[in-house]
Amino acid sequence: MIFYNTELTLFFEIYLILILAYAILIMSSYLILAYLSTKELKEYLKKNSFVDYEVLLTSEFAPKLSLIAPAYNESFTIQENVKSLLSLNYNNYQVIVVNDGSKDNSMEILIKTYDLILTELDFHSKIETKKIRGIYTSKNAAFKKLIVVDKENGGKADALNAGLNIAQNPYVVCIDVDCILDKDSLLKLAKPFLESYGKRIIATGGVVRIANQCVIKNGRLVDVNIPDVMLSRIQVLEYLRAFLLGRMAWGRLDGLLLISGAFGAFDKEIALLAGGYNTKTVGEDMELVVRMRRYMLENKIPYTVSYIPDPLCWTEAPEDFKIFKKQRSRWMRGTIETLSIHKKMFLNPKYNRLGLLSIPYWTFFELLAPGIEFTGLVITALFIIFGLLKWHFFLLLLLFVYSFAIFFSVIALYSEERTYHKYPKQADFFKLLLAAFIEPFYFHPLAVYAALIGYKEKIMGTKGWGEMTRKGFTKKEES
Amino acid sequence: MINFRELYKNSTWVEPFLILTISLFVTASFILYVMIIRSRNRNIRKERLRIEYSSLIEKLIFSIIFDDTPFSVIKEDKGYIKYANNPFFREVITETIMNLHKNYEGVYAQKLEKFYTESGLIKDSFKKLRNPKWEVKCKGITELAEINATKAFDTILTISKGRNKTLKITALNACIKLRGTKGIVHLTEHHYPIDDWTQINIINAFKKHDIGDTKGIELLLESQNSTVVTLGLKLIKELNLTQKIPYVTQLAARTTNSQLKYKAQDVLQTLTV
Repeated sequence: MIFYNTELTLFFEIYLILILAYAILIMSSYLILAYLSTKELKEYLKKNSFVDYEVLLTSEFAPKLSLIAPAYNESFTIQENVKSLLSLNYNNYQVIVVNDGSKDNSMEILIKTYDLILTELDFHSKIETKKIRGIYTSKNAAFKKLIVVDKENGGKADALNAGLNIAQNPYVVCIDVDCILDKDSLLKLAKPFLESYGKRIIATGGVVRIANQCVIKNGRLVDVNIPDVMLSRIQVLEYLRAFLLGRMAWGRLDGLLLISGAFGAFDKEIALLAGGYNTKTVGEDMELVVRMRRYMLENKIPYTVSYIPDPLCWTEAPEDFKIFKKQRSRWMRGTIETLSIHKKMFLNPKYNRLGLLSIPYWTFFELLAPGIEFTGLVITALFIIFGLLKWHFFLLLLLFVYSFAIFFSVIALYSEERTYHKYPKQADFFKLLLAAFIEPFYFHPLAVYAALIGYKEKIMGTKGWGEMTRKGFTKKEES
Repeated sequence: MINFRELYKNSTWVEPFLILTISLFVTASFILYVMIIRSRNRNIRKERLRIEYSSLIEKLIFSIIFDDTPFSVIKEDKGYIKYANNPFFREVITETIMNLHKNYEGVYAQKLEKFYTESGLIKDSFKKLRNPKWEVKCKGITELAEINATKAFDTILTISKGRNKTLKITALNACIKLRGTKGIVHLTEHHYPIDDWTQINIINAFKKHDIGDTKGIELLLESQNSTVVTLGLKLIKELNLTQKIPYVTQLAARTTNSQLKYKAQDVLQTLTV
């Protein structure tokens, strides 16, 4: 019995030290990334204050862009959303709306609103997609930028591939049709494609922010508010941390693996050469970036991926747990699928920083973190049952993690305050601060649970996105 | 004094370590919180001051522009005397003059330029050119170019030869505004590639400032730097300089660079249609 207790105590000691080491490792990496991000952000903002984006508006040398917006059952908002896409501040662009076999009357609304007629468009399908039922353009010259593709349902990746086949311009901007774009978003997204000499810019991405409870007028965001619903409010904070303190650093390290599917621009030629979007994964946005990068590295073509910290795209975050769970489990499945498709890159020096840093980071801190956390909880529960838990030490460990979580959120708030200052109302700042205190008890367990569901779905072989119900921004629009 | 070696050896380091880091996180969070509040208050105070200064500045500037009030009278104004040496007041007045100067031409613009010189604000802008921080230099260049301070041309031209891209673009724009083509002919000797973004900015500066005298643009076609030649071709095409056709024809005939040959032929086709 003495031996049994000694063994268990030893196991307990080792377990706690391992948990502590993992926590220290993850926290250190967050802090290093935050430091690099802040440095890069400061430099970017300094440079940006002297940039005149208007030069792109009048120049025939501005990159020609094709916006691809897949739409599935978006009848509630499609009319307004397409209107806002057509009125962006840019000249050299076309809008391709791909109706991915919607079951609602999206197509009828588009035909009626934009005077659409069936057109014979000359294009060469480089990627196989589900059958295209028809391609429409407008009779009205005011909508000459618009092309609507009506196709059979094949999922988001398939719809984006159809858009890639049809796009006539060298750069494609893939967006979620229900996102609200900043009016200068295309100007900012296009600029990096002009800036590199000797290195090909294969993709650029911008920051996505949460638009719940913000005021939208004529398809544009006019007033930024913090959501009252705690679940979406905490997501505001989460997005601030991810985009301001994380991705900017990965951009600086040239190790960015993910450009949000909600808003990103790609070099069409490279995207096609890499094989387009993978229809077999739900993480098609991340998978495409990894595959394009892998293609460039394997073919020894100098390249880079650019990242813009400006808030260019505003999206609706889930407000209830059911939808949140679906979204997060899908994200986890997407991560598992992407990392497993590209497992060859893991710790492979052939893939430089991507193989030695980005992929291992995502594997250990994004993919495995929820699993490690869950295992820790189970072991802790067992220790409690067997009466082996050193409560004093355990509580200190909890406090350590909790205080870091708050500290990191406050860094994000400070960074936001000193840079974009999008939440100037005092009340909004305090709402976010309160959210930082609540998050570890409320939001974080839900996020871990949803990620575990993602593991389970992957093991069970679940495919597809599942239905994503959105409330739509129009409910909050000012007349 | 804590003996760290002892702590580590007998495995009792974990608890003190946790307590220390928790205290650090809590303290750092509190400091950041105070910094956020201070930053917010500073912004509010700055905004209040800006409103206060703006009403005084507008009164003074409009009396200079529309009532021909000389600087000798302005410098006796109680409000002006009170704030004349305040750095933030000088920042706001400079911004106001720059914004107004963009909108006015002719005699009104000249009055603003005269005030800028007489009030000594121009000295602040020249001082910025000597600042080691590139972003301050950029600000000085923008101000001097806006106010047509041709005296600054040589200094700005030297700055434009540097490697900082943002500074380079700002300086080249200023040089073009101040001296037209003379502001870019030195690029023929430029050793580094000029990216498309810089080229678009140069072309835009020519269009924006309506540079009529384009003598010397053809020199860019003789550069050994292919990106400079490309810039020359783009300028000729965008500004529709049909008088430069012979130089483009010569380039198309002599260059061994297939890309440049193609671009030159494209320009010729555009200009001769």
